[in-house]
Amino acid sequence: MTDLLTMNLADHWVVDSVAELAGVASVSIVEGQIVSVTWRDGADAARARWAAGANPGAGDPTVALLPALIDLHAHFRQPGSNASEEVETGARAAAHGGYGTVALMPNTEPAADNVETLRATIAGERHGVRLLSIAAATVGRAGAQVTDVAALVAAGAVAISDDGSPIGDRGVFRAALLAAAAAGIPLIEHCEEPTLTAGGEAADGLVASRLGLRPWPAAGELRAVESAITVLRDVVTSAPTARLHLTHLSTAAALATVRAAQGAGLPLSCDVTPHHIALTDGWIAGDRRWAWEVAPGDERLNPTGDAFDSNLRVCPPLRGTGDAAACRAALRDGTALAIGTDHAPHSREKKEMEFGLAANGIVGIETSLSLALAAHHAGELSLATVVSSLTTGPARLLGVLQEGLAQGAAASFVQIDLAASWRPSRETLRGRSINTPLLGRELPGVVQMTVLEGRPVYQG
Amino acid sequence: MVTHAAPTEERRRHLLDVAGLDWRSLQKLLASAGEMQQLLDSPAGGSDALRGVGVTTLFYEPSTRTRISFETAAAALGARVTTFNVATSSVGKGESLIDTVRTLEALRNQVIVLRHERAGAPWLAARHFGGSMVNAGDGWHAHPTQALLDLSVLSRRLGDSDGSLAGRRIAIVGDLLHSRVVRSNLHTLTAAGATVLLTGPASLTTGFAEHAASFRDTPGSAQLVGSIDEALSDADAVMALRIQRERLTPGELDSLEAYRAAWGLTESRLAALAPRALVLHPGPMNEGVEIDPDVADGPRSLVLEQVRAGVPMRMAVLAQVVSEARAHD
Repeated sequence: MTDLLTMNLADHWVVDSVAELAGVASVSIVEGQIVSVTWRDGADAARARWAAGANPGAGDPTVALLPALIDLHAHFRQPGSNASEEVETGARAAAHGGYGTVALMPNTEPAADNVETLRATIAGERHGVRLLSIAAATVGRAGAQVTDVAALVAAGAVAISDDGSPIGDRGVFRAALLAAAAAGIPLIEHCEEPTLTAGGEAADGLVASRLGLRPWPAAGELRAVESAITVLRDVVTSAPTARLHLTHLSTAAALATVRAAQGAGLPLSCDVTPHHIALTDGWIAGDRRWAWEVAPGDERLNPTGDAFDSNLRVCPPLRGTGDAAACRAALRDGTALAIGTDHAPHSREKKEMEFGLAANGIVGIETSLSLALAAHHAGELSLATVVSSLTTGPARLLGVLQEGLAQGAAASFVQIDLAASWRPSRETLRGRSINTPLLGRELPGVVQMTVLEGRPVYQG
Repeated sequence: MVTHAAPTEERRRHLLDVAGLDWRSLQKLLASAGEMQQLLDSPAGGSDALRGVGVTTLFYEPSTRTRISFETAAAALGARVTTFNVATSSVGKGESLIDTVRTLEALRNQVIVLRHERAGAPWLAARHFGGSMVNAGDGWHAHPTQALLDLSVLSRRLGDSDGSLAGRRIAIVGDLLHSRVVRSNLHTLTAAGATVLLTGPASLTTGFAEHAASFRDTPGSAQLVGSIDEALSDADAVMALRIQRERLTPGELDSLEAYRAAWGLTESRLAALAPRALVLHPGPMNEGVEIDPDVADGPRSLVLEQVRAGVPMRMAVLAQVVSEARAHD
C-alpha cells in the first residue's frame, strides 16, 4: 500500500514556470514521480509558448497543470487564536487553494521569537502541505531587540519579519537587516509609518471621504518604503548579502520607488496581495466590480445595502483603481516577484462588527489563484505572470527548491480547471474562518487536485 | 454575483442614507413632512398611524435635539417609544451592536433609530435587523434626517414653485472633515439643484476638492473654495458647521479665537458679503466661535426653524419606513 500517486494526465495545458515551458502536454506519474512529460508540439514550441505568456488559445485544453503554489505570507494563528485558524485548518485551506508550500508569519500569540514557539507554529496534523516558518525579527515583535536569528535559522526559519507591524526604530531595523544578512535569509518588512496611519480605516481618497471613514494615507506606505530603502542602501555597503523584501505593497508610489531602487541594483524585492490587484476601495461602498472594470472617475460612491462590510477592512487598505493597476503592472514587469496572500483568518467575534472596530485582515489562501485568474481572463496578467508570481517568485525569495514538472521530479503540482467556476461559502471553504468579501461571488478556476512530492494533499 | 431579492425594496424599508435619493424622492418626503406639520397643528396634534409600532432610539453618542425630535415624532404618530440608555445598558458589559439590535427585535421593536460614532454602523445593524433601521448619524459619514430637515427649511424659504433650489447658492463653512452634516447635505442640496460652496481651514477640508467635484452628475453642483469671502459672496444661505472639539486631533485648529476671526459667521462679514443670506446651523452651537450670538439669534437665523422642522420630517421618515416594511412583509 502506498499513498503515492500513479496516474496519466493526458493533454493538459501545462505551465512549467521552473523550466519556462508551456503548452499542451501529457504527464505520466508513477509512484509519485513524474516519469514522462510529452509536449505535443515539442519543447521548442513550449519554450515559445512560455515566452509568449503561456496563455492557452482557443481549442487548447482548459484543465491546466501548474507547479504546486507557494505562499510567502500567511497567518495560521498557532499558537494563539485557534478560534480563527490553526495549522490543520490552515493547511487544508492552503491545499484547496492549490498551495503545496506555505510560509507562516510569526505574529502568533506569543510571537515566534524563539525556537520553541517557532516549532509550535508549524506543529500538528497538516495534510501534507509543506509549512515554512518565518521568525520574528525582534523579541516579542516589540521592535526593541533583534531576536537570535542564527538559532532561529538553524531551527528552520526561512526569513525574519515583525509582520503585522513595521520595525519602527531605524537602528533596530538596521540591526535586523544585518542579522538576517549574516544568517543568509531575507528580512520581510511590513511597510507602514504608524504616525501617519494611526486610526486609519480606509485608503485616503474619494471613497473614504464620501463614506466618512478615517483616512489611511498612501504617504504612510511610501514614507516607510523610502526609509527602509535608505537603510538598505547603507547596509549593503558593508553587508552585500543583505536582502530586503517589502510585503503587501499597495500603492503606485511605493511600487515606483521600489522599481527605481531595484534599477539602482539594490537587493530589494516585494509582493502584492490578491485583494490589492483585484479589488478596490469602492467595494466598501458596495461596488462589486473587479478593479480593472472601473475606469478612473467611474467609481460608484453611493453606499448600497452591502456597504461597510468589515470583510473589506485590511491593512494596508484597499485603494483606488489606479493603485490596483499599479500592483498588476508591478507583477507584469517583475518589480513584485510574488503574489502573497496575507491570509489573515479572524473569527466572527473579531470581524462581525462596526467597520472601524473590526480586526484588519481577510482570508485569501483559497481564493488567491482564482483572483489572479480573474485578472488573467480579463487580459490583465498573462498566465506566465500568474504562475511565476505564485511559484518561482516566492521560491526565489524563500530559497525553496522547485523541480517543476520535469521528468524525474517528484510530482508537485496543482490541477485546475481554468474554465470552471465556484463560489466561496461556508460549505466550499476549508479554512476555519470565512472572513472574505468574496462569499457568494462567482470565481474562475476550480482546483481539482493539489499534489506535493507525489502525494495528493487535496482532491476535489 | 450574489443576487439579493429585490434590493431596492429591501433598502427602502430603512433610511440609512440620503445618498442616491433623487429630487422626486426628496419632494415626496418634503410633501409628507408638510402633511405631518398639518397634523401637528391640528387639534389632535398627531395621528395613530404607528399605533402599536415599537420605536427605540439607540444612541451611542450624546444627543439632545435629534433624539428628542425622533421621540416626539414617533409619539405624535402613536408609536410605542423606548429610549435605550447605552450608558446603563449591557453595552457597558461588552454587548455588541449586533446582539443589541437582535435583542431589540426580540422585544418587538419594528423601528430602531440609531446614532453611532462609527461610519457604517447602521448598515451593519440593518443587515441583522428584521425591522426598519433609521440612521440618526453615523460617525463622520451621514446624518440623513438633518439634511432632510435642512432641505425642508431651505426649500420653503428659497425654493421655486416646486421647491427646487436651482440657481440658489448655499455656502457651508467650517469643519468639513469630521462633519456628517455636510456629507449628507451635499447629496440633498445638489439633488435639489443648488450650487454648494464649501470652505473651511485647510486642515479640516482635506479631500473635499475631489469630494465636492464628485457631485458633478447631479442637478446642482458643489465646489470647495479657498476663502470664506468667495464662499459667502452672493450666497442665498450660509450654514455654519460646529467645531467638534471632541473629534479634533492636535494641530487641526490653532485657537478658537483665530478660528472665529478667519471663519466665524459675524454680522459684519455677512452684511458685507452676503447681505440677504439666511443662516443655518445644525446645532449644538459654539456661539462666539463658528457663529456669533447676534447672528444666531438675529433675523436671518433659521436655527430654531431647523429644530422645529425636525419633528415633521422625522414623522415623515418614520411613516415611510414603516409603510415600506408593511408593504413588503
